Amino acid sequence: MRARALVLSVLSSVAVLTVGWQLGTQNQQAPSASVPDAGAPGPVASSTPTPTPTPTPTPSTSTPASVSPSASAPTPAGASGTFTGSSVQTRYGAVQVQITVESGTLTDVTALHLTDDDQRSVSISNRAAPVLRQEVLSAQSANVQGVSGATYTSDGYLTSLQSALDQAGL
Amino acid sequence: MGVHVFTTMGTTVSLRFAGPTAAASALAGVEDAFDEHDRRFSLYRPDSELSRVARGELALTRSSVELRETYAEAIDWSARTGGAFTPHRPDGVIDLSGTVKARAIAAAAHRLDAAGETDWMLVAGGDILVAGAIGGEPWRAGVVDPDDRGALLTAVELGGRRLALATSGTAERGEHIWRGAGRASAPYSQVSVLAEGIMTADVLATALVAAGPERCQELVDRFDLEVLTVDLDGALTATAGFTQARGLARS
Repeated sequence: MRARALVLSVLSSVAVLTVGWQLGTQNQQAPSASVPDAGAPGPVASSTPTPTPTPTPTPSTSTPASVSPSASAPTPAGASGTFTGSSVQTRYGAVQVQITVESGTLTDVTALHLTDDDQRSVSISNRAAPVLRQEVLSAQSANVQGVSGATYTSDGYLTSLQSALDQAGL
Repeated sequence: MGVHVFTTMGTTVSLRFAGPTAAASALAGVEDAFDEHDRRFSLYRPDSELSRVARGELALTRSSVELRETYAEAIDWSARTGGAFTPHRPDGVIDLSGTVKARAIAAAAHRLDAAGETDWMLVAGGDILVAGAIGGEPWRAGVVDPDDRGALLTAVELGGRRLALATSGTAERGEHIWRGAGRASAPYSQVSVLAEGIMTADVLATALVAAGPERCQELVDRFDLEVLTVDLDGALTATAGFTQARGLARS
């Protein structure tokens, strides 16, 4: 426990120095390199480290160079055929790709398995795409126990909405 | 189902249990978790440790381990979001309100776990964290429509790796979203983030509002989360997890 406190203290001091430097540079450009996690306490979900051998997630635009590590067999010059990579766990679930080679040239990359934890197929790119409101939902009709909104609304409607849910025992 | 409501950190906290309300000692522990963070970090309290640092009365190097640890964590999130999230006001004052509420929620969750509570939902000023389920069903949370605060944009289930939901807006009280000088105002009026942890959800919601659509994909790729954005014209975008939520449909 003491050791942990000491480590945190040292890390904090380093951070203080870092910040001093950051403040000195007016533009506050954060270093792009990942700073070591300064012992973030509590159940903070850090970003899931991506396994290194992850196949390129956009098969349609893949170049041969980026795909070759996932192929299980070496491709001799002039070889043709399909090659299946090993299954790799990613934050999107299991991913496995198959490449098609014609005369030593990569012609196609196919994702064989893209499944989430529930074994449903998923799109590997989690892109924020346009969506439409399908219906007007009220807190009651939506059967929710909690309401999330920007903090400034908490003084007014957000609080009263949550309060109504609380009082109704919903 | 038991509900315990109290005010702290200038907002209302609603804590509900799938079963009966937790013992008074557990509830007191939860309230203490928020109050302790408020006493140390609130810039609305002139006597808080962080206020003393802001006024130059207390050197950072002489501040408490808790304060430096929290500051270091906020700096780390700034780096991890490529500067989209920052704990500094434009005048250089350290403002930790962007992470302190999430820390308080996480601390409260820890105390609930320690008390043996397994099925609860904690709603603190629009940030939500759940554990377990309610009556065998997932907890459900709504996202407020920023243009019609009486209505919800969607309702989502919380469970699995999606236990936390946080929402940020462009006109947040306290203005804790600081934009770099010369950056255009954010085209997002509201961003909601679903993640496993409340800190990730809270920080990324703030970061996405500050960074805007041009950096949305990069941040979504970097972290394990789902996002629902509302732009200034009221148009919505969502990642797959939100696309399947009630009330929304792919356009």
